[in-house]
Amino acid sequence: MSNLAVLPIIIPLIAGIILAFFPKKLTLVRTLTKLFIIGNLAVVSYIVWQVFNHGAIILETGDWAAPYGIVIVADQLSVLLALTTNIVAAACAFYAPYSLSDRKEKYYFYSFFFFLISGVSGAFLTGDIFNLFVFFEVLLMASYALIVLGGDKVQLRESVKYVFINLFSSMLFVTAVGFLYGTVGTVNMAQIAQRVQEVDQQGVLTTIGILLFFVFAVKAALFPLYYWMPKSYVVPNPVISALFGALLTKVGIYSIIRVFSLIFIHKIELTHEVFIWIAGLSMIFGIFGALSTNNIKLIIAYNIIPAIGFILMGIGVFNQDAVSGAIYYLIHDMVIKASLFLLVGTIAYAAGTSDLQKFNGLLHYYPFLGWLLFVSGFILAGIPPFSGFIGKLLLLKGSLAAEEIAIVIIALLSSLLILYSIMKIFIRGFWGEKDASFEPKSIKGRTAPVVVLLAISVFMGIGAEFIYPSVESISKYLLDPANYINAVLEG
Amino acid sequence: MIFTVLIPLLLACFVPFISKFKHQIHTGVFVFFIPLVIFLYFIQFIGLGFEPIRHTYSWIPSLGVNFDFYLDGLSLLFALLISGIGALVVLYSIYYLDRSERLGHFYVYLLMFMSAMLGVVLSDNVFVLYTFWELTSISSFLLIGYWHFKEKSRYGALKSMIITIFGGLSMFGGFSLLTVISGTTSIQSMIANVDVILDSPYMPLALGFILLGAFTKSAQFPFHIWLPDAMEAPTPVSAYLHSATMVKAGLYLVARFSPVFGTYEWFFIIVSIVGIITLCWASYMAVHQTDLKAILAFSTISQLGMIMAMLGFGTKAAIFAAVFHILNHATFKGSLFMVAGTVDHETGTRDIRKLGGLLTFMPITATLALFGTFSMAGIPLPFLNGFYSKELFFESTLDLQGAGAIASVLADIIPYLAVFGSIFTFVYSLYFLFGTFGGKTQFDKLPVKPHEAPIGMLASPIILVLGVILIGLFPSAVNGTFIAHAAEAVYGEEVVKDIEFWHGWDAPAFQMSLVVVGIGTVLTATRTRWNRVYRFLPGKLSVNKVYDGIMDKLDTYSRKITTFYMTGSLRLYMAIILSTIVIVTVSFMLATGGFTIDFGNLASVTIIDLAVALVITAAAIGTIFAKKNVAAILIAGVAGYGVSLLFVIYRAPDLALTQLVVETVSVALFLLCFYHLPDLKKQHEPLHTKTTNTIVSVGFGAMMTLIGISAHSSDWFGTISDYFVETSKPLGGGNNIVNVILVDMRGLDTLFEITVLGIAVLAIYTLIKLKTDKGGK
Amino acid sequence: MEFIILILSGVLFAAAIYNLLQKQLLRLIIGSVLLSHGAHLFLLTMGKLKRGNPPILTEGVSDYTDPLPQALILTSIVISFGITSLLLVLAYRTAKENDTDNMEQLRGNENE
Repeated sequence: MSNLAVLPIIIPLIAGIILAFFPKKLTLVRTLTKLFIIGNLAVVSYIVWQVFNHGAIILETGDWAAPYGIVIVADQLSVLLALTTNIVAAACAFYAPYSLSDRKEKYYFYSFFFFLISGVSGAFLTGDIFNLFVFFEVLLMASYALIVLGGDKVQLRESVKYVFINLFSSMLFVTAVGFLYGTVGTVNMAQIAQRVQEVDQQGVLTTIGILLFFVFAVKAALFPLYYWMPKSYVVPNPVISALFGALLTKVGIYSIIRVFSLIFIHKIELTHEVFIWIAGLSMIFGIFGALSTNNIKLIIAYNIIPAIGFILMGIGVFNQDAVSGAIYYLIHDMVIKASLFLLVGTIAYAAGTSDLQKFNGLLHYYPFLGWLLFVSGFILAGIPPFSGFIGKLLLLKGSLAAEEIAIVIIALLSSLLILYSIMKIFIRGFWGEKDASFEPKSIKGRTAPVVVLLAISVFMGIGAEFIYPSVESISKYLLDPANYINAVLEG
Repeated sequence: MIFTVLIPLLLACFVPFISKFKHQIHTGVFVFFIPLVIFLYFIQFIGLGFEPIRHTYSWIPSLGVNFDFYLDGLSLLFALLISGIGALVVLYSIYYLDRSERLGHFYVYLLMFMSAMLGVVLSDNVFVLYTFWELTSISSFLLIGYWHFKEKSRYGALKSMIITIFGGLSMFGGFSLLTVISGTTSIQSMIANVDVILDSPYMPLALGFILLGAFTKSAQFPFHIWLPDAMEAPTPVSAYLHSATMVKAGLYLVARFSPVFGTYEWFFIIVSIVGIITLCWASYMAVHQTDLKAILAFSTISQLGMIMAMLGFGTKAAIFAAVFHILNHATFKGSLFMVAGTVDHETGTRDIRKLGGLLTFMPITATLALFGTFSMAGIPLPFLNGFYSKELFFESTLDLQGAGAIASVLADIIPYLAVFGSIFTFVYSLYFLFGTFGGKTQFDKLPVKPHEAPIGMLASPIILVLGVILIGLFPSAVNGTFIAHAAEAVYGEEVVKDIEFWHGWDAPAFQMSLVVVGIGTVLTATRTRWNRVYRFLPGKLSVNKVYDGIMDKLDTYSRKITTFYMTGSLRLYMAIILSTIVIVTVSFMLATGGFTIDFGNLASVTIIDLAVALVITAAAIGTIFAKKNVAAILIAGVAGYGVSLLFVIYRAPDLALTQLVVETVSVALFLLCFYHLPDLKKQHEPLHTKTTNTIVSVGFGAMMTLIGISAHSSDWFGTISDYFVETSKPLGGGNNIVNVILVDMRGLDTLFEITVLGIAVLAIYTLIKLKTDKGGK
Repeated sequence: MEFIILILSGVLFAAAIYNLLQKQLLRLIIGSVLLSHGAHLFLLTMGKLKRGNPPILTEGVSDYTDPLPQALILTSIVISFGITSLLLVLAYRTAKENDTDNMEQLRGNENE
């Protein structure tokens, strides 16, 4: 029964391996990809159902009792994120054949794709901090492969930077895990939490916590550690950007949520207060970045930063509403970022350029595309009744209750500017004179995945009543670490 | 009640299909019935014995966000305006908008707006109100940008969106704050618990947030600048959104929250001052405009300011007058916008400098304009509703009593400012009327030969002007039936007020009216002589410039800031990342007393250990100074072999072996890849770069060592490793504990470690084979 | 003794970072290799040094060096090796494709 929990990691792994054997048979590969991802989605959905109805699934791998072996902890947060991951991945799998050249597809795109999913799901599900490092490496290695796929000059150039910075943070991760092991003598997260609590997070522990925070913050693209991100998310194919934008940074922020709601929670007045400031600065500088460019893909890439800021704000404030808001926002952002990257990729393809100064009046040729972008803008900015609004409402309520007024004002202003940055694309690119010499290209098959993702976003707003109670129970669960510790160590 | 809100939105979905047949029948014909039906539905509530009604439908009950529709006098007044004027505007648009236009879009936006606006005035739940509020901004944005091929439309649309959504978000902040303070999301419950709110130290902040929302939406100074640019929208839209309904949402909001904040001194001060300044400034500026719609836009702003001021006064008389004027303004201003649209439609221009003498060609239009402008000017005639509310306004300015010092000063000046603003109102009203219809016709300047509009186009303004006259003649008919109810909803208790035309010569308000008419007439007659004054005020002052400046600076500064640090230089990125980590982490270490050192329990030191450590150190530093590729690679190799030697010394045979193999393969790979590349160059870096590099790297290394020492010295727990030693043989079945851990206890790590290697192999293969994706997408 | 190794690891980190702050690709890669050495030594030290025998069960010996850090390091070494190899090929291709091995010339511009 509990073996279920490992399936979201193993299925993509197997899929990736199988597909690596006959990469040139594209029709077969594409069909299998869709089958695998849908199958995995179904399995994950079943797990979600199980977890929400019967409680967290704890899998002690190899039957080695926690804390000695590696545990897989499929709690509500993990499985919900794994589900979102698979939804996003499915959309990308359906988009990929239209967007990628056959050559790229033949060079193991789908294998890398599945390895990435495996790594991401693993990172969400593992209950062991060194194992988390291993899954980080899996997803990073897959991302290295994806980012250079095609081997353009630009891609090579940006991926070198990307690899170096991530390599650095990985090594820092290993070291920090080592330090943690040196102080508390274990790598099982539940036991770490228990032991940190026992010594009241004294001495060097907070410092190690902050070191870990920076490890994750580099991956999560928080201020001022995000430099590697915007460019390297822009250079690969849109479908890869979508996967990156939706999943990679989110693994970083997920790790922050996990570690700073479970382990390092005894010096909140110091650590979490700093998070709020970092969150605010991320919002400000991220949105400035988005406003600074005319490259529509880059606008979306920069928009990742304030979104991560919003999520961190929730963790920083650290009360029921704020944490719920952070989680809601996290799921919302995974979906909307994926759809925006796919959408903007399609726009850039349709317009023949991603430079906003070089096209206008696209609404005359691609009205549907235009309205999709229009709605996405409002979803992203958290305008009701869409998904971003629910997250933002919770974050605001939580922060105001905690009397964190400054961050609320920054959050509201940056929402406005986020909207502006997207509407700029709509106003300049879609509105305007009809360009008679323009020859529209077919965008067949590229909008359907976007529509599905946007529909999910809209549902997450309008149908919040179906989702919010789950999120609320997650944040209640997170706010009392005993839940997690007991589930793992005594379960 | 929910149907009145949902119907327009739902039916809007069908409009695109209907509009396919627009050449057979104008899409507006179908749409017309929607507001009409809603209007008829709301009419049934008019009456003396009206009681508020509440209908609740759940949406997100666990967040307290529900469709709580609450219909009281104030909502009813607005609902009637929205549906009533809505019907007239649609009717008008049938004649105004040509069938070649994108009618489908137009009516979808319009219906979307109608739903949204009804939602705003009917929602008792603050967050639902906010939802609809933003939807009005969005539909307004789309309608202003309706002719989006025009640069000015795009500019106006963006401006209105930025300003109103800015206000909307601020209001959202205010609502969230109120919800947190009062624990409820219902406005009526907030009113019931007003003490809790007033006692909160955050009440002023909530008020400020909410007022920002109201002021931006209702185009109050200095946020009024979006409204004149919104005139790029088709005229029916200007008549509807930008004069009769949407811009009054801010007034609605202030009125709605009056029972909450009304007793707070600063509410009076801020709202009154902003209102009065808006009234004076906008009516002054209106005289300076040349576009008919611009005159009306400024006029709308000033009238909104006047109503806002009255809501700020908060007295019984003022609130009654405010509510009454909301109705009156909708009637006369609606008709005037339609007149302006008709003139534009029939002559091809709205430039007042080109117009004139249209009385002979467009007598009906001119008559309608006459009633509209005279009512707006507040000319004392018994059949003009504008006069009544203007006089009630004057009255209300006179009985103000300020509680504090500022408030009492304010109370003294307000009557003068009120007269000042009204004089200019009078001037621009007549300017509009005579500029268009009086004087000589300038045929050479008109693009089209003027002629009277078709009767269908005149129908809506005629109905509105009839409203002006009927309300003027029978003010008490609307008074008791719904104005009083609306005022009661704002004021909190029953408001009884008789509206009379004649109060006698010595009534102070009437004297003020006379002053307005007197000075106003003089100023109108001599307008060309004194309009030089605009060269000095505003002169070069302009809030628009502030807006343009902000948007411009936002672009340039965001670009400057971003390109300043996003240079694409990896070195800079690394330097910033590293120094941030060092600074923050070390600060935390200091703040939490993180450094500990314990010299007990250490291993012994031998010469060999030391020697190896020294060799590694030398090799590590040596890599920095190496000048040849091969040399650098080999020196790095030395460090690697040194580490494997250390592994041997520290009883880690497996590690030593692996490290040895890995190091050898790596060195080989290194040489393979870099043998052919240009040789390492001497470091030609400026001293300060070298210094920073040194500081950052040494700082980081030192920090890591310090944390390492502290971690090593913090020995609170035994490790879990004893378990591995005990169980390795019996449970794991192996003597080599490390191996047992790897393949058994931490088998998952190993599985995925191999996966990483596998991916790396595939990736390298791809990198080499798939060189450039030529002809790719 | 542990402190000496901790200082050594710190030095490795410092040297690694100094290399990472340079322009030429080769130096950067060497930096990352040194970084992994530093990280592994840190990790090794956290399990205490020279306490007992190598972690291979032998008759009559009950005192062993902490095996867990060794297992973790082993995993990490393999992973680092994978990344380094990829990085080498990547760097080589980048240098060839862009005609430079100087990171400062690999900055790029906005619309690509």
